Amino acid sequence: MTAVGVRPGRAEASPGVGRLHEVRRRRRRRGLAVVLVVAALGLAVALVAASLGAAAVSPDRVLAVLLGQGEKVERFVVLELRLPRIVAALVVGWAFGLAGSVFQAVLRNPLASPDILGISSGASLGAVWAMLGLGLAGIWVTGFAFAGGLLVAVIIWAVAWRQGLHGIRFVLVGVGLAYVCGSAVSWLLARGDVRQAQQALHWTVGSVADVRGDDLAGLLLGVAVMSLVVALASRMLAVLALGDDHASSLGARAHAGRVVLLAAAVGLVAVAAAIAGPIAFVALIAPAIARRLVGGGGAALLAAAVVGGVLTLSADVVGQFAIPGLMAPVGIVTGLIGAPYLLWLLARTERTRA
Amino acid sequence: MRAATTGPSSVSAPAPRRPTRSRPGRVVLVFGLAALVLVLMVLASLAFGVRAMDPAQVWRAIFSPDTADPDQFVVLQLRVPRTVIGLAAGVALGLAGTVIQGVTRNPIADPGLLGINAGASLAVVLGISFVGIVDPLGYIWLAFAGAGLAAVAVFSIGRGEPVRLALVGAAVTAFITPLIALVLLQDTEAFNQYRFWAVGSLTGRELATVGVLWPFLLVGAVLAFFLAHRLNLLALGEDVASALGQRVGVTRGLAGVAIVLLCGTATALAGPIALVGLVVPHAARRLVGSDYRLVMPLALLLGPIMLLAADVLGRLVVPNSELEAGVVAAFLGAPVLIAVARSRKVAGL
Repeated sequence: MTAVGVRPGRAEASPGVGRLHEVRRRRRRRGLAVVLVVAALGLAVALVAASLGAAAVSPDRVLAVLLGQGEKVERFVVLELRLPRIVAALVVGWAFGLAGSVFQAVLRNPLASPDILGISSGASLGAVWAMLGLGLAGIWVTGFAFAGGLLVAVIIWAVAWRQGLHGIRFVLVGVGLAYVCGSAVSWLLARGDVRQAQQALHWTVGSVADVRGDDLAGLLLGVAVMSLVVALASRMLAVLALGDDHASSLGARAHAGRVVLLAAAVGLVAVAAAIAGPIAFVALIAPAIARRLVGGGGAALLAAAVVGGVLTLSADVVGQFAIPGLMAPVGIVTGLIGAPYLLWLLARTERTRA
Repeated sequence: MRAATTGPSSVSAPAPRRPTRSRPGRVVLVFGLAALVLVLMVLASLAFGVRAMDPAQVWRAIFSPDTADPDQFVVLQLRVPRTVIGLAAGVALGLAGTVIQGVTRNPIADPGLLGINAGASLAVVLGISFVGIVDPLGYIWLAFAGAGLAAVAVFSIGRGEPVRLALVGAAVTAFITPLIALVLLQDTEAFNQYRFWAVGSLTGRELATVGVLWPFLLVGAVLAFFLAHRLNLLALGEDVASALGQRVGVTRGLAGVAIVLLCGTATALAGPIALVGLVVPHAARRLVGSDYRLVMPLALLLGPIMLLAADVLGRLVVPNSELEAGVVAAFLGAPVLIAVARSRKVAGL
């Protein structure tokens, strides 16, 4: 808050401001270092994920395959079977983490996440309706999920917009729509064949097990474009965090920035949920972890995205291999890991304040 | 911001300096109309359905039963139980929602968001899958115990602090929901039973469930009314409430007990029904102001009105079939919630 309006040229004039710059530089460097450490951790997990499985490939062989060597079987197992899943987990987690971080910052509510705002539920409803109501499969399910998520976002927008977008109104409308979509999903699940309904339930939990070539290309493209938009618009976040009135009195075009950021976040969620299903809790927990690691501001966005990717990949590995004979979809494990961590964070916050 | 005119509380329900109160004439009118609508809803619930009946037939079925008449059989065996269950569950949800929003001072608090429905659902799922319970009467105690455990967990970690409570509720829900999915994905038979319970419905339950649960409902309701004045003081802020001699901890404890009893009863009777507990207090506040001594009795009327209306509508929208009350309640409740969200008051929360 203090730094707004301080011109860089004046830094030498006052030692206090100089120290401020030094502190901020150090914080930025620390944030970057943390992000790099988390990313390195992610690469290590990815290496483990690529070598584990029915046909074990040792990590050094995985590296060899990635460098263009290796036997035909190894190449097939690593590149064709395991890599798409690993990349999908990383990218989907990145998308949810980044989107959650944007929602929480723009709406200034730590609860604001696509799960609670109904965007994930909209995607679920779209997919479940396509599967059980219309008997569709494959790319159609993806398309309906994408459309469902976007549609809910548009409705929230249209209804919550009243001379601007107020955080609490957006959240209340979103919660209401989440319930409506959730009820409709339960209703659809209670009709029709049990087996099909169970498959639909499996989709709503979220899984990266079946992501293949075409899906992956679309996912990568969509997430890259939206991430770029968020990166360009993220300068607005620090100003928006002061509240609408302060933001506009500082000359920020608060509404424009808000709209662009929220639209990009919605796009991220819709793309990711369409491909992998609404993976629970990543969008809520990854930003919470990131804030603790690097503090607020633009660095938190990058950190949330990286943490989201690593969390999702780790959850997928745990789900596949933690209990032999039990393949838990990634969406189950993220909630089971994420929720206790959040509770622990909450318990800690009170202690520090008291 | 508008917050300056409505008070400093950041996430509370409308919390003016003193409870606003509508004029006595209006209050009498609102209560009179609500009571009338409730009576009409009960009649509609008895008369409408795939086999429609006129009030005279309903009257005869109840006061001079003739077991040979198939119409009367429908009324007595099917419609009376679901109407009674709708009344009981509606009262429980309306009062529970009011107490939850009052004690957390959070406008989006309700049994669904606080993890209470998730707790009940997990208990029912575990009961079906591992204990092999098939009798819906057996679900009652499971749902009750699950709801109670979840509520105790959420309230003891959240300590009634609005934002924390909401986050803890979300976290508990997010922990429980995957567990439910994990069991259901492994066990097709359990999923097949559970999915019908999870929609939330007034059918397929016997009158005996109300016979078992009414004491809990009664105690919960009496507690809720007893709490009305305390919630008024709490709405002024924790500090003011304790300065005025209220022991805030006692209020929270009693509210927690009332919530467990009421939510447990509602979920055991009708399954996890979304939005009724959220919407009813909002609607009641709009009609009679924020004084809980008026909001509480109005919620007692509006809860069953909404649930019975959802149930009756569900019988009428699809010809020769039915939509479950839980689904219709969500579709009825969302527009009301949106109207509240768009109203001027909310902007300042």
